[in-house]
Amino acid sequence: MTESDQAEKSSAGTAAPGQFGQLLSDNGIESNRLPDSCGVETIEVDRQQLENAVQRLRKSPEAVLDLLLAVSGVDSPESYDSVYHLWSTSKSGELVIKVRVAKSEVAPGELPEVPSLARIWSAANWHERESYDLVGIRYSGHPYLRRILNPWNWVGHPLRRDYKQPVDALNDKNPVSFR
Amino acid sequence: MKNQDASAESGAGKEEAGSLVIPAELKDTVTLTTIDKAVEFLSQTVLNTAVNWARSNSVWPLTFGTSCCAIEMMCVGMSAFDISRFGSEVFRATPRQADLIITAGTITRKMASALITLYEQLPEPKYVIAMGACTVTGGMFNDSYSVVQGVDRIIPVDVYLPGCPPRPEALLDALLKLQQKIRSESLTARRQRLYRQSPIRYVDYDSGRPVEDLVSDVHQEMNEIAEAVKFKADRS
Repeated sequence: MTESDQAEKSSAGTAAPGQFGQLLSDNGIESNRLPDSCGVETIEVDRQQLENAVQRLRKSPEAVLDLLLAVSGVDSPESYDSVYHLWSTSKSGELVIKVRVAKSEVAPGELPEVPSLARIWSAANWHERESYDLVGIRYSGHPYLRRILNPWNWVGHPLRRDYKQPVDALNDKNPVSFR
Repeated sequence: MKNQDASAESGAGKEEAGSLVIPAELKDTVTLTTIDKAVEFLSQTVLNTAVNWARSNSVWPLTFGTSCCAIEMMCVGMSAFDISRFGSEVFRATPRQADLIITAGTITRKMASALITLYEQLPEPKYVIAMGACTVTGGMFNDSYSVVQGVDRIIPVDVYLPGCPPRPEALLDALLKLQQKIRSESLTARRQRLYRQSPIRYVDYDSGRPVEDLVSDVHQEMNEIAEAVKFKADRS
């Protein structure tokens, strides 16, 4: 679910936009290039422009990124990231899009908001529910944003850095606990 | 019948010894019939050995596999290891026809309530083999947020079978140990023990906490409220 982001530490330099970043900027959509992840072009897109950018990448004949492989959530030290892996079935192109919500923008007790892609790809429905369940990213416009892995009455989001599980009868008195 | 028993217990007291002593808390709900007494008498002599021999050689497990240990459990049922040599080849698809749960695999918090339900649906006498490291202590999921740290926190376990996963021979060994246990017990003594086991089974399905804890929490809260009210009253 979460992926390490040690590669992004060195992302200060503004690299030249790649194939898909160039396509977006030609259409007037801003994106920020990040270091490639496993040889795949990686860009950061503002959350207001996410739906627009994704529609453009999906429809335009040069890109045809028509398959959503995965949506994952990351709790980075300074931000909550929502990561989308796109794939082209006809042209074998691949792209990673990151949407970042800085932790300073998120009010205490609130969840970071990212627009949902469930209307564009129905595959995003369950992925976004998983990301909401474990990392606590609220996907606005999602048709059924409800916990998918944990029980519905679960409190908190277990893959958050600051998550602390309450001690109850199912996990107390553990002599080899690392907590 | 009830009155007779009550008078018999109060009057005779220890005369009705053996394993048929009813705990004080159950006096209102349990009535001993003449059949019970006859069975008790016979079981102390002949019946116990014969019945237990029969029971121990037909322990029917429930088809219950939640992860990789289930593969070994399937393997045990196949011809290479052949659990039917010990009379346990009849894996039942419903708990109501089974005697034994082999908890083959990790039990998550979400599965815990289902496992408790299954265990309670088994008819008495029922047995549990905790198979694999996950169900014995939580295993490699130590401190995991989603895994029950040992299945004995939610249901009583008869045989612990460590391993990750245990070999099929190990499962057969656990079954033989369980058979030994069945052969050496008396059914009436078991019935009594049931009463003592019962608190561990009353776990709140929603929170996974023992009901006793929840009740004590409520009491504590009520005390706090009462104290607060008293404090206010004192000030005014």
